Formats: sequence, structure tokens, C-alpha cells
Amino acid sequence: MKHLLTRITLAVGLAAPLLQAQADDQVERGEYLTRAADCMACHTAPGGAPFAGGLAIESPFGIIYGTNITQSKEHGIGLYTDDEFFAALTEGKRRDGANLYPAMPYTSYHLMPREDSDAIHAYLKTVAPIERDAPETSLSFPFNVRLGLTAWNLMYADDLQLKPAEDKSEAWQRGQYMVEVMGHCGECHTPRSATGAMEVDKHLSGGLLNGYLSPSLLADDLANRGWNHQDLSTFLKHGMSSQGTMFNEMYPVFHNSTQFLDDKDLAAMATYLLGDTPPAAKVVETRTLDDLNDSAKRGHQQYLNVCAGCHAPEGEGKPHIAVAMRGNTTVRLDDPRNLLRVIEDGIDEQQFSGFERMQPMPGFADKLDQTQLTDLLNYLRQRWGGQTGELAVSDVQKLQADKSDTHSKAD
Amino acid sequence: MAKHPLQMTINGKPVDAVDIPDDLPMIDYLHEYNNLTGSRLGCGQGICHACVVIVDNPDGTSEEVRTCITGAHYFAGKKIRTIEGHAKRDEQGVVTELNPIQLRFVDEFAFQCSYCAPGFVNAATVLVEKLQRQPVAKSQLEQVIEDSLGHHICRCTGYVRYYSATRNVLSDLGLVKEG
Repeated sequence: MKHLLTRITLAVGLAAPLLQAQADDQVERGEYLTRAADCMACHTAPGGAPFAGGLAIESPFGIIYGTNITQSKEHGIGLYTDDEFFAALTEGKRRDGANLYPAMPYTSYHLMPREDSDAIHAYLKTVAPIERDAPETSLSFPFNVRLGLTAWNLMYADDLQLKPAEDKSEAWQRGQYMVEVMGHCGECHTPRSATGAMEVDKHLSGGLLNGYLSPSLLADDLANRGWNHQDLSTFLKHGMSSQGTMFNEMYPVFHNSTQFLDDKDLAAMATYLLGDTPPAAKVVETRTLDDLNDSAKRGHQQYLNVCAGCHAPEGEGKPHIAVAMRGNTTVRLDDPRNLLRVIEDGIDEQQFSGFERMQPMPGFADKLDQTQLTDLLNYLRQRWGGQTGELAVSDVQKLQADKSDTHSKAD
Repeated sequence: MAKHPLQMTINGKPVDAVDIPDDLPMIDYLHEYNNLTGSRLGCGQGICHACVVIVDNPDGTSEEVRTCITGAHYFAGKKIRTIEGHAKRDEQGVVTELNPIQLRFVDEFAFQCSYCAPGFVNAATVLVEKLQRQPVAKSQLEQVIEDSLGHHICRCTGYVRYYSATRNVLSDLGLVKEG
């Protein structure tokens, strides 16, 4: 009997730490997956407590506020069971049965396995509760009727499916999961229909978000803009590469998510996006001034006047100050929208890993008129972007007029 | 580098059109072609603002523009003022009277090494001219000063004195209203 008690005591004594270790592992894995799924981006207001909600997300249907997902029982998800959390994540169902708006990317997360959802939930349970309600989302009729989303969900919620992977490498398969499900990259980089659903037949071919283009992530398009496997991994890890820096909507994605991913996963994401046999990254030669058309030649002077001080006269950029124009992925985009927006709006000071900094770029919306902007765009695109066509002033006017939050790929 | 004629008005005087390299930074144009060496080259990358000049816009407003990162040809046809243009001078060019901002900065020992002073004087001048069009309520004064001078860097850390002197000169000129 004494021996039996000793054995039981020993068994309990050994089992308890083991279970605790498993739980710790789950929380640690959950933290990593929470980063990978970038929950913080939408569920944290600028300067606000982590996961306490309040971020205003502009949508074509009105402003949707990120909710409080801390452990507050009254304002957050403190009462959610693992089952209820899984339903919210993968089906867009709130604990009370109401539909979440698809700003919550359950249209991508629906492919997440239960164990990953449980791990994320286990981690979120360790986040201190914040007893504050996020602002209530209040869309106009008919979008305020959450019940209406039931039909929408039936039609679109599980449109996105993983691609067959039998002949793909292990890295490609992992990359597909990290890009499509956890990273939910397609939610922004895919055009949307008038109903707000992703057009899955044009998956990752580029979308529009808050007036900016979310560029195509298709392998051939990436290669055409100069991306190779190494640079893409570096870009995700450090927020910058020879192709430029993450800015606009991707800047918080870097800060909240991609910088925390391990090298193996980042490489897997690059493998998935570029393929197991990546297309060769296209090199664009700098064109000589004589080779430029008249508008671009005039644009050269605009460049020397207001850009060269930071981006350098020959477009090589200045370290820690401003990115190079040579090889810049935004300059190389066929669509001039983002280049115009950046020139007009500027970019706030940026901070990256390893104490890397980039200076703020001023906006030139009130400094350059439409002809000067057109000339400058033509110069940048022809000199360093590999573009041969010429933009007209009317093209710039059209882009300037279209600053709405368009949700399908325009033009 | 190709050259093209460049003409502008500096401190009220038209500057003759001479051929200027297309890529010449404005600060070099002021220093090397006009012997106006008061605008300071500090960081050379648009951060410290020691190099700013004032551009007088056709609509009557004025603004600061950084000359270390802006090409001289950007200023073609424009009217600009540099630190040399604020004080009154006699026929020999000797300074006879500082403007109210300069005077306050001197009286209150606002600057130490003076390297940043031309930028601060120009920034405060733009602020004075803005408030002359639209005076500021006392409750907004600190924020307005911060917004106007906050991007200027002083490595002697003379910010308290600069801000104090600016606050006082705005009051002297009757540009602060109750409220």
C-alpha cells in the first residue's frame, strides 16, 4: 500500500509539470500564430492597449471597429470557450450567434485547423483583460443587418480553398498555409466584387485598399518587379530590401507580424509565392536621359529639384534616409497609382528592426501641379521602372479623382 | 551636368539669370553664386532645418523650404528671403536695426553657437506672418509654436529660450488674443 501511494504521488508529481510544459508550449505556439495571423493589427487602436480593439477600419460599407479580444468578460472574449473561439475564427460567428463582419478574415481563417485556433486562444487567455468597450460598429442600412451576412456567408465564406499540393515541396505547402490562412494576404491582395467578396478566380492578382494598390503577388508579377526568393524573405523579415521599404498598410503588418516569423516560415512564404521553380527576377536597366521622351526629360528636372536631395541624383538612394529609385518595386509597378499617391502623400518616418530608420518623406500634393507630377512619374517610370509608355496629364487627373475606398481592382 | 539660366528674387532684389547646373542644391547656389552664406548646411538631409529659406507665395502666404535637399531650379521665378534679408541696413550694407524676432532672440540669449539660428529666425518669421493674417488664441499658443518650430534642431538645446523668445515677440506684436 505504501508503495502504491508512493507510486501515485510520484506519478502525479511527474504528470503535473508535464501538463504544465505542454500548456506552456501551446501558449508559446499560440503567441507565434497570433503574430502570424496578425490579430493585433485590427484589434489594437493606435497607441492603445494590445488587443483591446478600437481601430477604425474603413470599408466600402462604412467604418468597422476592431473589437476587444482581451479576456474581459464584459467587453472582450473572456467568456468564449475554445469551441466558440474556433467558430468566431473560422465561421465568423460571435458567441451570441450573431455574424461578424467579414473585415474579420474568417474567409481565410476557415482553413485553420482546430489545434492552431486552440493555441491562439490559449495565448490570448494570457493577455491581461482590458475593461473597455471598443466603439460600436454602425454601418448604414442594409449593411447594419448582421443577419444578412448569413446569405453572404453561404455564398462566399469558404470560397478560398488551398491549392493541390501533392507535387509541391514541404516548404511550398507550409508557405501556402502561412500566406493564405495565417497571413491572410489574399484579403488585401485580391480584387473584391461589388458584394465585398474576394474574387477567388483572380486570387492574389492585386486589390485596392484606401486608395492604394495592394500589388499582385502572383509569381510572374513579382519576378517582373524584380523579386527573388532571398529578397522577398528579407523584405518580410526586415521590412526593407533593395526593392524598397514596407509602407502604407504593410508597415503595421511588418511591425505586428512578419518581423516575428522565423526564417524557415519566411522562406516558405517566399517559396509559395514564387513557386518551387521561381521565374527569374527581371533586371531593369537604367535608361539614359537621351532615351527618355519629352515629358520624362522635363520630369528629370523635377526630380533634381525635389527628389534628388534624398533619393540621390542617380536614383541610388541614401542609406537610412531614403530608398533607391533604381530597382524600386513601386516605381516598377505597371499601375502608377501607388507612385503618385506616395509622391502626393509622403511617408511618415519609419522604424525597422535593428535600429534601422528611414526619414520622413514630405508629400508634394501642394508643391507640384498636375503637369509636373505627370512629368515626374514619366521620368521615374521610364528611367528606372522599365516602363516605356507615357502617362498623360489626364491619367494623373483620373487617378487623383479616384481616391475612394474602391474595393475592386480598378482600371 | 547641363546648365540652364536661373532667375529669382532674393531679399527683394532680382538676381540676374546666369547658367546654373541643373542639379545644384539651393544652399550651394546661395553660398557659391550669391555669397549669401547665412543659411547653414547642417545635416544635409533635410532634418535639422538650419538651411531653410522663406518662400513668398503669390497668394500672400509664406513658407519655409529646406535648401539642402531642394534644387536651385525649384526656386525659378520665386521670391525668397534668407537670414540676410531681415535686418535693416544702411547704404554700405551695414546692419542698422534688427527685426523684432532677431532682437528678441538676441535679448533673451536664445541661441548659443548660432548654427541653427537662421533656421529658427525664418521659422519664427513665417509664424509671425501667419498670425498676422490670423491671430492665435492664448490657449493655442504653445501648440502653434511647437508646430512651427518643433522640427528645427538645436544641438545646444536652446529650445526653452527660443520658445520663450518667440512667445514674447508674438505678444509684443499683438498676435495673441485672449481665449
